[in-house]
Amino acid sequence: MAEAKEQPRIGVFICHCGTNIAGSLSIEEVKEYAMTLPGVVAAEEYQYMCSTPGQSLIADAIAEHKLNGVVVAACSPRLHEPTFRTATQEGGLNKFRFEMANIRDQNSWVHMHDWEGATSKAKDQVRIAVAKARLLEDLEPKSVPVEHAALVLGAGVGGMQAALDLASAGIKTYLVDKDPTVGGRMSQLDKTFPTLDCSQCILTPKMVDVGRHPNIELRTFTEVENVEGYIGNFTITLRKKARGVLSPAEAEERGIVGGGCNGCGDCSEVCPVIKPNPFELGMAPRKAIYIYHPQVNPLLYTIDFDSCVKCGLCVTACGEEKKAIDLDMVDTFEQVKVGTCILAIGYDLIPIEEKTEWGYKRYDNVITGLEFERLICASGPTGGKLIRPSDGQIPKKIGFVLCAGSRDNTGGVAKPYCSRFCCMYSLKHAHQIMEKIPGAVPYIFYMDIRSFGKMYEEFYYRIQNEGAKFIRGRVANILEDPSSKNLTVFTEDTLLGRPLSLEMDMVVLAAAIQPKPEAERIRQMFGVSKSQDGWLLEAHPKLNPCGTTTAGIYLAGVCQGPKDIPDTVAQAEGAASAASIPIHTGEVQLEPYFAQCVDELCAGCGMCVNLCPYGALALVEKNGRTVMEVTEAKCKGCGTCGGFCPGGAIKMQHFTSPQICAQIDAFLLEGGEQ
Amino acid sequence: MATDKNYGNPELENKLRDRYYYTTDSNPEFLEDVKTLSRTIAHMCFQCGTCTGSCPSAPRSSYRIRLFMRRGVLGLEQEALNDPDLWLCTTCYSCTDRCPRDIAPTDVIMAMRNLAFKYDIVPRNFLKTVQLIYNTGHGVPNNDVNRAARVKLGLTADPPTTHGYPEFIPGIQKIMDHYEMKDNADRILAEGGQ
Ligand SMILES: Cc1cc2nc3c(=O)[nH]c(=O)nc-3n(C[C@H](O)[C@H](O)[C@H](O)COP(=O)(O)OP(=O)(O)OC[C@H]3O[C@@H](n4cnc5c(N)ncnc54)[C@H](O)[C@@H]3O)c2cc1C
Ligand code: SF4
Ligand code: SF4
Ligand code: SF4
Ligand code: SF4
Repeated sequence: MAEAKEQPRIGVFICHCGTNIAGSLSIEEVKEYAMTLPGVVAAEEYQYMCSTPGQSLIADAIAEHKLNGVVVAACSPRLHEPTFRTATQEGGLNKFRFEMANIRDQNSWVHMHDWEGATSKAKDQVRIAVAKARLLEDLEPKSVPVEHAALVLGAGVGGMQAALDLASAGIKTYLVDKDPTVGGRMSQLDKTFPTLDCSQCILTPKMVDVGRHPNIELRTFTEVENVEGYIGNFTITLRKKARGVLSPAEAEERGIVGGGCNGCGDCSEVCPVIKPNPFELGMAPRKAIYIYHPQVNPLLYTIDFDSCVKCGLCVTACGEEKKAIDLDMVDTFEQVKVGTCILAIGYDLIPIEEKTEWGYKRYDNVITGLEFERLICASGPTGGKLIRPSDGQIPKKIGFVLCAGSRDNTGGVAKPYCSRFCCMYSLKHAHQIMEKIPGAVPYIFYMDIRSFGKMYEEFYYRIQNEGAKFIRGRVANILEDPSSKNLTVFTEDTLLGRPLSLEMDMVVLAAAIQPKPEAERIRQMFGVSKSQDGWLLEAHPKLNPCGTTTAGIYLAGVCQGPKDIPDTVAQAEGAASAASIPIHTGEVQLEPYFAQCVDELCAGCGMCVNLCPYGALALVEKNGRTVMEVTEAKCKGCGTCGGFCPGGAIKMQHFTSPQICAQIDAFLLEGGEQ
Repeated sequence: MATDKNYGNPELENKLRDRYYYTTDSNPEFLEDVKTLSRTIAHMCFQCGTCTGSCPSAPRSSYRIRLFMRRGVLGLEQEALNDPDLWLCTTCYSCTDRCPRDIAPTDVIMAMRNLAFKYDIVPRNFLKTVQLIYNTGHGVPNNDVNRAARVKLGLTADPPTTHGYPEFIPGIQKIMDHYEMKDNADRILAEGGQ
């Protein structure tokens, strides 16, 4: 509803984007054409509109020509809409008096070899943008306060680092993990490349810190049930899975003073149910009441109710004083309010047995890199003695199959991308066997050794110098000798140009990695996109690698794409910094694209109320009439209600019906009578 | 282009000949032809060696499928088509099963053989196979040893193929005549080619 009718005075600014646009269409023609459009009083072109002189051009023209609308024909609004809005504001206009025509991504890049066609399409785009600009209105962004708390989902090394940073910056941080302990994959590793420090030794301090930092609220064995809200004001429902065991604090809440689990393990000793321990990848047993490993944090036992037979032995063993076990415990729910969230949910290995040529799960002595980590680890199921699963013998010739399922375009479980850390951990594995087993020889079957990080190439040099054999050829298949259980590896030594068949005692597959199966559900709840390879999508691969396209949600670690520990920690610190900015600023501005109810037209039918996916609408009494009212902070401007209202009573700000109709008319009538 | 050497001694010249690979040795159309005929992404080979590692011919011969893939990528037409190893693929398709780039190397070899035929570069045994198919409908016709074995197994001496139904041979010949296969095979063999 334009108040006082003002005459449109539009300025059109056309960007060359170097040769990105100017190389494929005639800027000059588009500029001349723009001047013929109704309402346009100025048209300019410039090499780079986003540069400082380009922006001044806009600001100056606003003053000189008394513009009340600005159209920039350039790139995608994704990056530069904020830039040009600022320029518009600096020229003295409301920043929503700006409209962008994307003549690069949607035109010159697609029609690179069609000069005439691209030029004419650019004219269409400019005409359409001008049609909307004529009807633009002043809008005020809405400021909302930001909750002084954050949530980090996933407590692997990435999530823990992010949580520690946020907490140390004075922000109350909920650190949530679905597993009974923090630590993630890194706690399963023995040593870490390229420095070979003990993984647990460098991780345990962080695991302990997240447990006792005054600003961290640790929630293990907990999943996210529901996410509502928007940047600054998320309400997140957590499902605390029934653990069957009370922490000392929980016991105290129930009036059991001095009780609760102290980690003594008496319960586990008496439990009659034996199951494989997932932390040891099924290579060691655990009871129905268990901890993953001695360094867990929190040190609390957990009951696996899927296998517990409720015999009650553990309850007796635990005793009357601690009274820590509750076999009737049920899941509980908790709502937390936070301003920003970081997702750090990590990764899984692909089910490499589905690449049948390598025989995993068919041949006893073919294992994955992760299983190798557990077998070589002093706290692992064999006490750090690497043995052949088939006969317990110590292997001497060990093959390492790199790119097992990575860099593979055949579909199925295979992944086209590089998993980025398997080259390096295979080098590490080679070192570990040469160090631990006298006379052991590692054979590394590779296509390329990707040792790109700091001190990584030096590590490669070191392992070759220690005696590892490098064979440049991807492994075609593996066959098992049924009696000896030895394995024959077939490949080509591509550098010699000769086929190879090598008998090995054991083969380790550097299996590709993939997103967690739950990542899909998490992503949808938090409104995050995924890239074509399935990993969570960052806002911009170069310039915003920690953010997402949903304001207030950030990413850390492998859930965004394969990366090793140094890169995971770096991204986690970046995400923590980004996530703390809105919290420390204290308020965020929301785009004013809310629905507005035009009370005079609203019949109070209420049909829109149930349609809104964000629960932003309600019926209220106003001046003796029932009308709809919008809670602006909840509205995302999706337009569902606006498109539906039979009375046309809902106005979508910045996307009003007159504005959109004018755009359609401008396109279809080619600038003719409207 | 390779530099000519002139020592006035052919043996020495061959020994010391320029072995640099020059981009001018490449015929880019060769790769395009191979791609069209094979209907596979022959240009996407990254030389991993899975194909040769899978190949039953490789450990028994000098044939390296990976090498032909490389020649295809580089457009080294003469080098590929004149290498007698081109004819050692058994068409088992193991390489095609396993290639991580989802290429069909077998079909690349078939395409190269087709192109070689255009230059009359075909081993004699392949040409003789053409003649045998033309005359009997079989690449490997029945023989007395086989016949005896079949009878011993309680089968008819001849299988129910063109051996049992020779009236179908003219149909096969018609197809082969359409592609001038027999004429070409006869001609190349008569010229005493490969
Ligand atoms: C065999 C092997 C050896 C390796 N060796 C090295 C090495 O030597 N050096 C090195 O730098 N890197 C190494 N890596 C890589 C290293 O494991 C990763 O870089 C690192 O673990 C990534 O940490 P993260 O926090 O992103 O993910 P993770 O460690 O996977 O942590 C993710 C966490 O999120 C939790 N989670 C998942 N889903 C949910 C959910 N829905 N709700 C709540 N919580 C959830 C998980 O329980 C887990 O605790 C190795 C990897 C492998 C496979
Ligand atoms: S009640 Fe369950 S957890 Fe406890 S001892 Fe029995 S089976 Fe084990
Ligand atoms: S890191 Fe190395 S082994 Fe892993 S996928 Fe990449 S190239 Fe292959
Ligand atoms: S398997 Fe495929 S990618 Fe690998 S060398 Fe052979 S053709 Fe090339
Ligand atoms: S199809 Fe030919 S090249 Fe491929 S593996 Fe079989 S014999 Fe070797």
